[in-house]
Parts: sequence; C-alpha cells; structure tokens
Amino acid sequence: MKMNDNLLQDSIKVAGQVIKKTTDTGAQINWWMWLAVAELGIIAFLILKEKLKPKDTARQRFKNESLKEDIDFNNIINSSFNSLQLYDELKVKCHPDRFPTDMEKNSIAETIFQEISKNKNNVKRLLELKEEAIQKLNINF
Amino acid sequence: MLDNTWNNILDWFRDRSERAKLIRSFNESARSAFVAGIAPTLLKASISKGESSYKHQFSNWLNTGSRIQAFTGRVLTKDELIHIGKVILDDKVLVRRLIVLGWDTLEIHGDAGAYGCKWQLKDYIPLPKFNENE
Repeated sequence: MKMNDNLLQDSIKVAGQVIKKTTDTGAQINWWMWLAVAELGIIAFLILKEKLKPKDTARQRFKNESLKEDIDFNNIINSSFNSLQLYDELKVKCHPDRFPTDMEKNSIAETIFQEISKNKNNVKRLLELKEEAIQKLNINF
Repeated sequence: MLDNTWNNILDWFRDRSERAKLIRSFNESARSAFVAGIAPTLLKASISKGESSYKHQFSNWLNTGSRIQAFTGRVLTKDELIHIGKVILDDKVLVRRLIVLGWDTLEIHGDAGAYGCKWQLKDYIPLPKFNENE
C-alpha cells in the first residue's frame, strides 16, 4: 500500500515536471508561430494588393478622364435663361451681310457668326464673341 | 472574380459619392443664380427612376434618371423647358460625366406633376465600344 502511495507521488512529480517543461518550450514555439503568421499575413496582403488593383481598361480610362474635367454649373444655369436673348442680339449685329463692302470685316464677321451659331446655348462663349466683335468689327451694343 | 467584385464595390461607392457631389454642385449654382437674379426660376436637380429603354453600357441598375425641376419662381413654358434641356445637352463635358456616373435619362420638369420633357443621353455623345475582356 505504501509502495503504491510512493509510486503515485512519483508519478505526480514526473507529470508536474513534464507540464513545466512543455510550458517552458511552448513559449518559444508560440514566438516562431506568430512570426510565421505575420509573414503569411504580409504575403497575403501583397498578393491581394496586386490582385485587387483596379484594372487599367479602356472603359476605366474613359471614365477617369470624364471625371477629371471641370463643369461650369454657373454658366449652365446662366445659359439656361439668358443665352437666347444674347444670341438673338449677336446674330443680328454680327451678321456678315452688314459688311458688304469691307471684305476683311466681312470675313471676320463670317467666322464670328459661325462661332455664334455653334455656341448659341453657351453664354460664356457668346460674351467672349461679343467682346471680339466689339474689338474687331467696331460694333456698338 | 474576387478582384472584380471588390473593384465593383469600390466603384459603386465612388460613383455614389460623385453623383451626390454633382447634384449638390448644380443645386448650389442654381440657388446662387436665383438669389442673384440671374435665373428667374429656382432649378433643382435630383435623381429619378429614369427610362429603362435608354440604358447604355455605363447605366446603373436603378435610378438612372437625372431630373431637373423648376422649383419656385416663374412658371416655365414648354419651350423654356426644352431650352434648358438643350443647354445641358450642348455641354459635352456634363453629358459625358452624367453618362459615366450611370445616368441614361435627362428629365426637365415644370413645378407641377409629371409635366416635362426627357432625353436619351447616349444620343448626344458618341460612346466607344469597350472590350470587357481587356
């Protein structure tokens, strides 16, 4: 009976030592494991980063170019209500038929008139053409 | 497939933000013009359901209409509504922007009910054919 008790005590001691050893070496294994996990994470990140990069397709390029351009909303709103009136005024005053004798002015008026017709819904451009007409054709508005 | 899905999700959020920005900019300009007396009517842009038969390669699944409505001020005639539409459609940069952000219909409405006009945006700008497998 006593021998059995001794054996039991010895087994418990041995088990305790084994547990202690395992715990000691376990700390080292965990360190390497975490290093490996971090390495795996970095590799996965680099692969995904490359794979998930937006493709430079023609469609994407078309879209990106369109998004880069500026839109003048003030001019659009202004043109919505005031371009017709300005166009009507300019098309009469800058008509090439008003300069039948002066060939140079007639040619300039022809060019300006074409531009006016092309930009009849754009107040900003019409105002620029008005200024050009005042300077080059000596028209009083 | 994963990269496509991921990029589509990112694109969706980016487009949503750009659409909101465009609508906000238009409304701010319209408000300033109305306050300054440049515009006799306050215009307001919003997103509408759109016309499904006007779809193009950039069209969104839902809400593909860009609606501009006369809000307050003078009541606009049909000719004036058409003229506002023409001014917008003449601005190639704006039409291109509307198309790439997923809109396919431009609607100009008066202040009451469904009175207004609508246009198919893809008719006003040549859209290149894209190879999806590129």
